Amino acid sequence: MSETKSKAVAVGSEKKKRRSIPASTALLVFLVSLFTYFSIASEYFFDIENFRNILVALAVTGVVCIPGTLLMISGQVDLSVGSTAAVSGMILAKLVDKHGITVGLITALLFGVVLGCINGFLVTKVGVNSLITTLGALATLYGVALLIGNGQTLMMRNFEWLGTAQPFGVPLPVAIFTFISIIGIIVLRRTTYGRSLYAIGANPNAARVVGIRSNRLLFLTFALSGLSAALAGAILCSQLSAGDPNAARGLELEAITAIVLGGASLAGGRGTMFGTILGLLTIGVLNNGLILLDVPTFWQRVAQGLMLIAAVSFDQIRQKLNSQRG
Amino acid sequence: MSVELAHLQKIHKSFNGVEVLHGVNLTLSSGEVLALLGENGAGKSTLVKILAGDLEPTSGSIDIAGTELARLDVYQARQLGVRMIFQELNDAPTLTVAENIFLGQWPSNKGMVAWREMNRKAKEILDRLEVDIPVDAIAGELRVGERQLLEIARALTQNAKILVLDEPTAALSNVEVERLFIVMQQLKAQGVGMIYITHRLDEVARVADRVQVLRDGDSVLTVDAKKADRSDLVTAMLGHEAAKNSRPDANPTSKIAVKIEKLSSFTEFEDVSFSVNAGEILCLFGKIGSGSAEILDCLYGLRPISSGSIEIFGKPFLPKSPEESVEYGVGYLPADRQRLGSFGSRSVAENLAVRSWQNMGHLGFVESAKESGAFVKWADALRISSRRGPTQEIVTLSGGNQQKVLLARWFEANVNVLLLIEPTRGVDVGARRDIYEIIRKQAKESNMAVIVATSDYEEVVLLADRALVMARGKVVSELTGNAVDANTLISASS
Repeated sequence: MSETKSKAVAVGSEKKKRRSIPASTALLVFLVSLFTYFSIASEYFFDIENFRNILVALAVTGVVCIPGTLLMISGQVDLSVGSTAAVSGMILAKLVDKHGITVGLITALLFGVVLGCINGFLVTKVGVNSLITTLGALATLYGVALLIGNGQTLMMRNFEWLGTAQPFGVPLPVAIFTFISIIGIIVLRRTTYGRSLYAIGANPNAARVVGIRSNRLLFLTFALSGLSAALAGAILCSQLSAGDPNAARGLELEAITAIVLGGASLAGGRGTMFGTILGLLTIGVLNNGLILLDVPTFWQRVAQGLMLIAAVSFDQIRQKLNSQRG
Repeated sequence: MSVELAHLQKIHKSFNGVEVLHGVNLTLSSGEVLALLGENGAGKSTLVKILAGDLEPTSGSIDIAGTELARLDVYQARQLGVRMIFQELNDAPTLTVAENIFLGQWPSNKGMVAWREMNRKAKEILDRLEVDIPVDAIAGELRVGERQLLEIARALTQNAKILVLDEPTAALSNVEVERLFIVMQQLKAQGVGMIYITHRLDEVARVADRVQVLRDGDSVLTVDAKKADRSDLVTAMLGHEAAKNSRPDANPTSKIAVKIEKLSSFTEFEDVSFSVNAGEILCLFGKIGSGSAEILDCLYGLRPISSGSIEIFGKPFLPKSPEESVEYGVGYLPADRQRLGSFGSRSVAENLAVRSWQNMGHLGFVESAKESGAFVKWADALRISSRRGPTQEIVTLSGGNQQKVLLARWFEANVNVLLLIEPTRGVDVGARRDIYEIIRKQAKESNMAVIVATSDYEEVVLLADRALVMARGKVVSELTGNAVDANTLISASS
């Protein structure tokens, strides 16, 4: 009798222990180890100026990661963010010198929203899988970006502030990213919209049956993703003082790596903003550290790809363990 | 002449320390059909799963075709010729009939599928069963009953000696049921032993040689099917308590909550009219496919209607989607909890509060404290046991506890009309009592009109103020108050 009891307790506590570890603990440990390693291995790493560099390098990806996390949690994905950023940057570069910054910026951002709405329409109304829809958009829009500049980079002047200004010592892109992150955290955790996204991702059929306006919410989220991609494009454009069709290539890969690394499930229904931000920092620290250690830049690509695969595998293993337990 | 195929002795089975089978014996001979009867939760599925090697008994012995085994795994059971046909289909809907019959074991020639040979053999098997289905038809385009026959055909290609059929007729039309019975006669003649699980007593006399009744994990009756008396079987299944006594008095108001008139939905049901008062519980009793669940789907906007009208509190109501229905204060509990009801990876508190978030804060914000408060309140009232409180993932709860959370979802949302489909399917006996009690209590206290579609007569007896018996898309009789009892229901629906 007492034996079975103690066994039951043991099983319970084992379960509890496994459950009470948040999904991001492993990542946090990994990030701290990376951080410690680079601090020891490179004399330039542990330095406030270098930290600023890391954050600036992350800000552009970070901006698209926030709506990206919302989409991933609701079981969707937007692969077109890189191309959307490129097209928006090209539009901005084309318009700024002739019509001024305000017109250029508003047009570029509106363009991003429209593209997001088109993705949202195709996914929610037409019913095309979001992976396919946005993969198509990725290819199409990259072509459009090349067409706008006729394959060339469009130089422009007088628009450095968005990418390079440092009010109170904080680079503006980092401030923008921080601001959007805070909004993202609040929206996801505290609003009906955020909670509904979790529900839609966890079980889209049940969400429909319980009367959640899934299509409307997903449409909105795609629009936000488009807007954030355009903003990312504008920041890049300003940093480069040019519209470069290739500047944002691979943005979607980096964003998805960060999101998945942060614990959002590809199947939907799971994930946190905090996890995504942690994922971003991991990528940023890794890239920065590899550069400081003079590792050839090609290795960054290899490392990032491997990290994505590792993160997805981890997600799958976790799901398997969960279903075994259930 | 007839050989003993399977002999299970003193089978005990416990889940998490709770014993669900208390030493059950079962024998099956070749060419015999054994009907296995019992209420939900009596242990029928557990017993046949042990026979199929899906579950390992806690103790007891299994003897199949003269081989005594201490334990049996799925692979061994298959080797020994045990096959199960489930209520849910397990086929590949995009492949052809022939491919499905030989699924995974396609006749081949040097690594290429030998189509001609496969089609010929498939035709032979179907002919043997006297089933007329073209072998090159796509399985997904066939009727459910035909697809079920395909599964039987597949079992035959794999040399089945013992065939377990788990409520195969639940989703079939009458014609399809007849055809299944003919096939079963064929199999009998070929010496296959069959265990036939059913809820329908009228089928027992038709197909079975012997009947065994399980109740709460004990085998309570085993008789020759020809000698089995219907009321004896019902008594054996229900036990000694007469269920009709436990239903509290009806207390509906006189205010009409839902009124439907001459409602039809294409081929699902036609010309159905009834009304339900606030505070009243109306049960639509009928087997799956009789139209009872489909009526509720229509009321909730999940299925289009072809004619007729619906009124809710005197206002015309024609929902096109659940989004609209919930605005009218209508709630809906689907039969398929996993697929349509719960958000598996989310917490019990979120699952409960999903319909009430807009009342738990301002400007689109949700106060977490109110969310967990709602859970605590209902967990207490409904005896929901969640080990880790509001944050536990719903998928880790037992079926009964999950169902309680989904019910509380609508109670918390304060709906005026609640539509329930098979509310206690897959729910253990203890939780069923709780669920009936709470539904009755809520209906009374918050003057909620409740409409239940169910194929479980005991549920009707325990729950209904009034019952409509449905068959083939039509209301065939109406029972009120004390007239709602098991015998009347069963004879009215058959």
